[in-house]
Amino acid sequence: MTAVGLAQSLWLLLAALGLALPVRYAGIPLLGQGAFVAVGGYAVVLLGPGGTGLPLGVAAGLAVSLAAAAGYLTALATARLDGGYLALATWALAWLVQRAPTAFPDLLGGTEGFSRPAPARLVSRTLGIEVTLTDRTSLLLAAGCCLLALATLARLGRGPLGLELAGLRESAPLAASLGVPVAARRRAVLTWAAALGGLAGAGSTVLTGVISPADVSPLLSLELLAAVLIGPARWWGPVPGVALLAVLPAGPLAGAGSGGVPARGMLVGLLLLAGVVVPLVVRSARLRGWRVVLPGFLRPAQPEPPEPLEHRLEPLEPLEPRPDRLPELWPTVAARPQPALELVSASVRHSGGPVLDDVSLTLRHGEVHALIGPNGSGKSTLLEVLAGSLDAGAVRLGGVPHRARTPVHRARAGVVRTPQQPVVPAGLPPARQVALGASGNGRWSHAGLRQLLGTPLSRVQAAELRAWRAGILDALGLGRLAEADPSRLSTGERQLLQLARAVATGAPVLLFDEPAAGMTAAERAVLRDVLRLLADRGAAVAIVEHDLRLVAAVADRITVLDAGRVLASGAAATVRAEPRVRRALLGEE
Amino acid sequence: MIAGVLLQVVLAGLAQGVVLGLVALGFSLVAGTARVLPFAHGDIVVGAAFLAVLAVAGRTPTAAPPGRLASVALLVFTLAAGAALSGLVGGLTVLSDGARQPGPESWIAGGLAAGLLLRAGLAFVLAQQAYALPDALHVDALAPGGLLRLPGGGTVPVRAVCVLAIGLAAGLATEAVLARSRFGAAVRAVADDPAGAALCGVPARRVMVAAFSLAGLLAGLAGLLATPGRAVSVGDGALLGLAAAAAAVLGGIGSPRGALAGGLLIGCLQALAGYAFGTGVADLLPLVLLVAVLAVRPPSGRGGRLTGRPMRRLPSGRSAAAAPR
Repeated sequence: MTAVGLAQSLWLLLAALGLALPVRYAGIPLLGQGAFVAVGGYAVVLLGPGGTGLPLGVAAGLAVSLAAAAGYLTALATARLDGGYLALATWALAWLVQRAPTAFPDLLGGTEGFSRPAPARLVSRTLGIEVTLTDRTSLLLAAGCCLLALATLARLGRGPLGLELAGLRESAPLAASLGVPVAARRRAVLTWAAALGGLAGAGSTVLTGVISPADVSPLLSLELLAAVLIGPARWWGPVPGVALLAVLPAGPLAGAGSGGVPARGMLVGLLLLAGVVVPLVVRSARLRGWRVVLPGFLRPAQPEPPEPLEHRLEPLEPLEPRPDRLPELWPTVAARPQPALELVSASVRHSGGPVLDDVSLTLRHGEVHALIGPNGSGKSTLLEVLAGSLDAGAVRLGGVPHRARTPVHRARAGVVRTPQQPVVPAGLPPARQVALGASGNGRWSHAGLRQLLGTPLSRVQAAELRAWRAGILDALGLGRLAEADPSRLSTGERQLLQLARAVATGAPVLLFDEPAAGMTAAERAVLRDVLRLLADRGAAVAIVEHDLRLVAAVADRITVLDAGRVLASGAAATVRAEPRVRRALLGEE
Repeated sequence: MIAGVLLQVVLAGLAQGVVLGLVALGFSLVAGTARVLPFAHGDIVVGAAFLAVLAVAGRTPTAAPPGRLASVALLVFTLAAGAALSGLVGGLTVLSDGARQPGPESWIAGGLAAGLLLRAGLAFVLAQQAYALPDALHVDALAPGGLLRLPGGGTVPVRAVCVLAIGLAAGLATEAVLARSRFGAAVRAVADDPAGAALCGVPARRVMVAAFSLAGLLAGLAGLLATPGRAVSVGDGALLGLAAAAAAVLGGIGSPRGALAGGLLIGCLQALAGYAFGTGVADLLPLVLLVAVLAVRPPSGRGGRLTGRPMRRLPSGRSAAAAPR
């Protein structure tokens, strides 16, 4: 292979590495990477020498910025789309960008495209530089860019930012509820993917000196996707795929009305299909209990393959909580004003009538506040109002009006609510799920960026985070399950894991919806101790619970709801003695 | 004079639009029922037409009107090829779903691979840039010279009128089937809640594959209506599929009538844009519309309007019952 051919393949690899960021790391099925490559390529030709006449370096910088801007706009436009429709929209973008030159031939060169003299020359009079981009220099440049991208991806996968992206991939609502700014991360991912695609496009165009719609056909996007999907979920994943593409017969892909060489189209199609079929076959074989041995380099790093069902039916080992291991969660909580959270006169109604009718409630630091009442009495709705996810009444957090519209803001403001149905993504081991909670914690702000840059502080922070995570897991009795397969956890262990994640955010106001549902007696005992421990450390804990024995054992205050109204509220002993409460809950006459 | 030209343009646009509408109806049906987007759908339209022509007329087809037997064979083969291809893609998609893959990448890539393989496979056999395909329906023979004379002295191509009539009839018939028949009830039940439908004894997976096949049947019909009378290339399917997706999203995923209307609207706009600015711009129009509609009014993707009432909310912070206002 010639130096030019190798450099071309390296630029292709750079585009594929950019695509791996959304597809592999963040689980965003971007189909329009070819469009960003085209933006970079066309921009450098139109702006650079021979176009508007900017120096090559400036033109290349602008081209990459334009591609990045296109990625950012794409992220904005597709912010509310779920996977399939995002793929559809970006697939349309890939075609749009390829067809635009044909529609506006005067501006974009039509089907012929543009050509510029090669080798190009980088000239700066002010700096006194004059470099001719020979084949060798271009090869070094492309290799340098690829190595930098590979090193960054490798670091990213190990650090807090990679974890946040994994959270985005596994369950975006969950990550948001733990304070991970999912929308911003999504925009950043698409912007960086587009920037790398644009750089690849600019580099490859400068190298060959030609660009035309045939070079950036939408099928380029498919080639890149195939290269990403065929490789393992590792930082170097796209490398084998791009190497395969490099040895495929060159030539225009079939289709797009070109009637061109169909062999490459066929092979890319097969490659894409293999990228889909091989993991599915391995997965279903493992589900049936067959041993599938893959060579080490093909073994996926994440997620772990599911185990056959019969292996899960093993006796539960008792949990051993170690309260002494709980880190100092809320060092400043003593200085926080009481009450922690105050709700004044909340009313919620829907078509069937009132769900909540003029409900007021106060949560205090150091107390467990139980919300009890029959099904449909409005407990979960009240919890949503307290969390700020439902707008009703006036919520004051530490004396300040609490107006947080998104789950991310709520978590950052210090209020975290666990959902009624446990959400436990199968792709993240418990330790990483708890670490995800910690990454939403303001205590380690910019930890992700620091780790990526390798600042001295980042090592200290990483150690702190590890200790924090391990301490919380141990305190809740999940220490030995830190690296377990999440799909093998019992219901009670899942509930405790939810608690651990919420605690890891460092939010001092914790709202748990039926945390004891599905728990064994032993697990309930652990839960009781954990709730007590959290309150003793200063948290304001509210639980919705049906198990009155647990409530009696743990609650400092009880609020009884019936048909959306507060039946009784106050210290636990007082409420329990109320005749009205006994009538409502126990049917006593 | 200009009115006559406009009429021609709009009529041609409507004829092209009703074809888009049929493809969009299939797209919408699959997206609503099986909850995957059929990325290969456009390729299936073109692929079905070419496969049938290959089977009946061989590798060097001409536009000459086929004999009676050949016409019937062409008709049957095109419809069957559409249903079979789409059913095959659907079967593979639905079956592989059993392995509980975590993300949508697998069916997205699978659909794209299916389209690409179909396109490339046909390109192996059919090497020319473009082909003129025979017309199994013989609509041009209905009027002398293929033109209908209007009372005012103008003429319109009889092909456009026939395509429009057949397409609309087929689209409305499909809607009626979905709304009235037992099969339609099963489709709507699966669109609403696959697990619930399965609990009630509806074979949800089979219904999903059947929805794919019905979509393929409509794709075959679209191929029959659209391919004669113009130069068709093996690679035309991808853009056709995207235009149909635009029509389906515009009309509301899961709404048969919406898909037809969206197709007619896009076809019309495309014809007018082509008349005013050239075909290059007309090709871009559905793509721009698709991106814009998705950005402004994102479909929530679960069952769509097939369920006959507003879609259920996606799991998020608040539950449907507690939503005020």
